[in-house]
Amino acid sequence: MNLNLKADKDQTYDAIVVGSGMTGGWAAKELAEKGLKVLVLERGYELKHVEDYKTAFSDPWEFEHRGKIPIVAAEEHYATMYFSAKEGSQFFFTNDKENPYVQKRPFNWIRAYHTGGKSLLWGKHTYRWNEEDFLANAKQGLGVDWPIRYADLVPWYNYVEKFVGISGQAEGLAVLPDSNFLPPMAMTAPELHLKKSVAQKLNRPITIGRVAHLTKPQPVHSAVGRATCQFRNRCTRGCPFGAYFSSLAATLPAARRTNRVTIVHNAIVKEIILDDKAQKAKGVRVIDQNTMEVRDFYAKVLFLNAGTIGSTSILMNSKSARFPTGLGNDSDQLGRNLMDHHLAIGARGDIDGFEDDYFFGARPGSLYIPRFRNWGTDKRSYLRGFGYQGGATRADWSRGAAETGFGADFKKKMTQPGPWKINLSGFGEVLPDPNNRFTLSNDQTDKWSLPQVVFDADFGENERAMRKDIMNDGAEMLEAAGFKNVVAYDNPVAHMGLGIHEMGTARMGKDPKTSILNKFNQVHACKNVFVTDGSAMTSASNVNPSLTYMALTARAASYAVEQLKARNL
Amino acid sequence: MNRRQAVTQVAWMLGGVFSAPTLQAMNRWEQIAKTTSAGTPTGKFLSETQHELMGRVAELIIPRTVSPGVESPRVESPGALDAGVPDFMDVMLRDCYTKAAQDIFLAGVSDLERKNFVTLSTDQQTALLKQIEADAQKSTNPTFWLITKELTLLGYFTSEVGVKASFDYQPIPGKFEAIKIKPGQKDFMYGNQA
Ligand SMILES: Cc1cc2nc3c(=O)[nH]c(=O)nc-3n(C[C@H](O)[C@H](O)[C@H](O)COP(=O)(O)OP(=O)(O)OC[C@H]3O[C@@H](n4cnc5c(N)ncnc54)[C@H](O)[C@@H]3O)c2cc1C
Ligand code: SF4
Repeated sequence: MNLNLKADKDQTYDAIVVGSGMTGGWAAKELAEKGLKVLVLERGYELKHVEDYKTAFSDPWEFEHRGKIPIVAAEEHYATMYFSAKEGSQFFFTNDKENPYVQKRPFNWIRAYHTGGKSLLWGKHTYRWNEEDFLANAKQGLGVDWPIRYADLVPWYNYVEKFVGISGQAEGLAVLPDSNFLPPMAMTAPELHLKKSVAQKLNRPITIGRVAHLTKPQPVHSAVGRATCQFRNRCTRGCPFGAYFSSLAATLPAARRTNRVTIVHNAIVKEIILDDKAQKAKGVRVIDQNTMEVRDFYAKVLFLNAGTIGSTSILMNSKSARFPTGLGNDSDQLGRNLMDHHLAIGARGDIDGFEDDYFFGARPGSLYIPRFRNWGTDKRSYLRGFGYQGGATRADWSRGAAETGFGADFKKKMTQPGPWKINLSGFGEVLPDPNNRFTLSNDQTDKWSLPQVVFDADFGENERAMRKDIMNDGAEMLEAAGFKNVVAYDNPVAHMGLGIHEMGTARMGKDPKTSILNKFNQVHACKNVFVTDGSAMTSASNVNPSLTYMALTARAASYAVEQLKARNL
Repeated sequence: MNRRQAVTQVAWMLGGVFSAPTLQAMNRWEQIAKTTSAGTPTGKFLSETQHELMGRVAELIIPRTVSPGVESPRVESPGALDAGVPDFMDVMLRDCYTKAAQDIFLAGVSDLERKNFVTLSTDQQTALLKQIEADAQKSTNPTFWLITKELTLLGYFTSEVGVKASFDYQPIPGKFEAIKIKPGQKDFMYGNQA
């Protein structure tokens, strides 16, 4: 008996953070910096900053398949082929064969089970949501109203942005509020031309992409060992300079330096242990992914940061007499309103007349065209809007396969920069829909005997109507700027999941009858459990979500510590 | 959705970065999954004579160039053989191409074997390849020519000798800026393709 008590004590912390990715890193840092003893539980293997970026300095010829993925490897990473279709970065992506899931309707679940999670893979596009994003549901009677407004997040955006380090250009646009910026990256000549033409002819602004790269590190960045971006654009292999923001390079080192953080790897959090009497969580039950050993850890407060599907799955798995369908699920909204951004659509073209223009360096970022539809006086047949990411670059030697010719002259030609090409790729907002959901399978399990996730979600009428504009408007802008061979493209089988911005499934809301979380990301019915990743989102905006997750996480952590101190948790 | 669809769509999204054969290659997932346990296949794909023949084809696509000086001809830039393209082709065909694409490729090689390609004069070889290229142009399906050209270019322009001879290789550029091109400017390479 004594032994057990001692073991329990050893495994008791002030706070447990589940997941070490983009949001888990923030939760760990904030809670620890505010004085809490924090345990981070990470289901994947340990990945060490710098030392484990094994391919970061590899030259092209050092890859046996020169970057292409062999068929056998592709078989194991089927969901992630779009993003991992490179030999040098494939090891960052989760093996889908070993971690299966069910698709009632097509869904690609792209994961990164290791320290840092998807913060090692992201494209680093970093945008604030705007005021309208938090009002649209209420105005349009869709989903539920957000329990917070843009103003609630402003101080937290300010707070996290300074630590993250975001390169970008202030534009003063209501549709795309400015962040605290480091110097912007340059545009290429045809991009500047596009910007000018589209401003003049269509009155739409184009700005340089806002990306989480250190273009001019500040003391707060240097303090955790981060340095200037070298413009190699090998980010998908890990950045040994710590130049892009990841939890591995930034928040976890900051958390560790408090000496109050313990990270346990290979720890798959299975469920939350509920103290039925107190209506509070006591801790979590964990399966070691290698040894299958089951252990419990205890804490006063839990932060779920396992990624949208991961965190909601844990809630679903936490069944009790009080919560027969999953912890906090009084509203039956758990797993519902699964959202993503819809993409794989846009326009591309070529341009003449910039033969003398070139660029030096590989820019890890692109242009950004903010939403202009259903904004101001513009009114469309569908709701909400979309933006574009993209850019112009010169074709390299790989253009040769499609061209005729061979021999010495052809070879020489391939060593010189090819024609300019441009691509604008749209990202559209997906509406919340309670029938877009995931559940846990009743009969299919994984190798840890955990139920498999069953996806059942698709784009609706609104998304389909919006897609027409994404194509046409993209082409229109390229044509306005005099681009040739303009092709508007749409991938008919584009579907949820490929956007890798999974959101919703444990939404925030004012009313416990229709939402899972309150305005501080606390489970309405179990106040010491916080969910601060994409699960919490009540609607999806059309801009990339991670900055908003980070701001929500820092805000919730601050609140949790206040509440702990006030003995309310 | 099955994996064939997934991969087609994925490659489609890459906006033409992958050619049809590469796409098809990925479709081989399904077959491989059924027939093999995990692990990369080993062994040679091409026979020795095919290897030699393809070396000749690749060298015609990307020839070694020599400066004209009669006294001491100097290698101006290396060619496909210097870059080890035939060995690379072998590995790629084995690991990254579908059975269907492999068959198309092998049919093309056999055809050249039948025509005694290696014994023809350089002019005859060039003329024959031009004909093959012109025919390939008419095809909407992946062809022997497209696979060959794609592998030759990839094998050469990402090899150490190929990169160093062809491009201004800048593994750590340190900045990004718009510049004007200089006369005869070689393409910059940053080693970020893989
Ligand atoms: C290729 C790519 C490009 C992207 N580009 C952008 C972009 O440009 N801008 C943007 O804003 N977003 C982008 N994203 C999305 C961004 O990466 C995610 O929004 C973000 O990482 C989500 O943070 P998270 O903390 O919720 O999840 P993650 O970062 O994925 O972290 C979750 C962590 O929890 C762990 N975990 C999961 N389940 C459990 C469990 N049961 N027990 C213990 N641990 C668990 C995982 O192993 C992982 O480490 C991109 C994503 C990808 C893959
Ligand atoms: S481009 Fe910048 S952020 Fe990306 S790997 Fe290179 S140095 Fe790191």
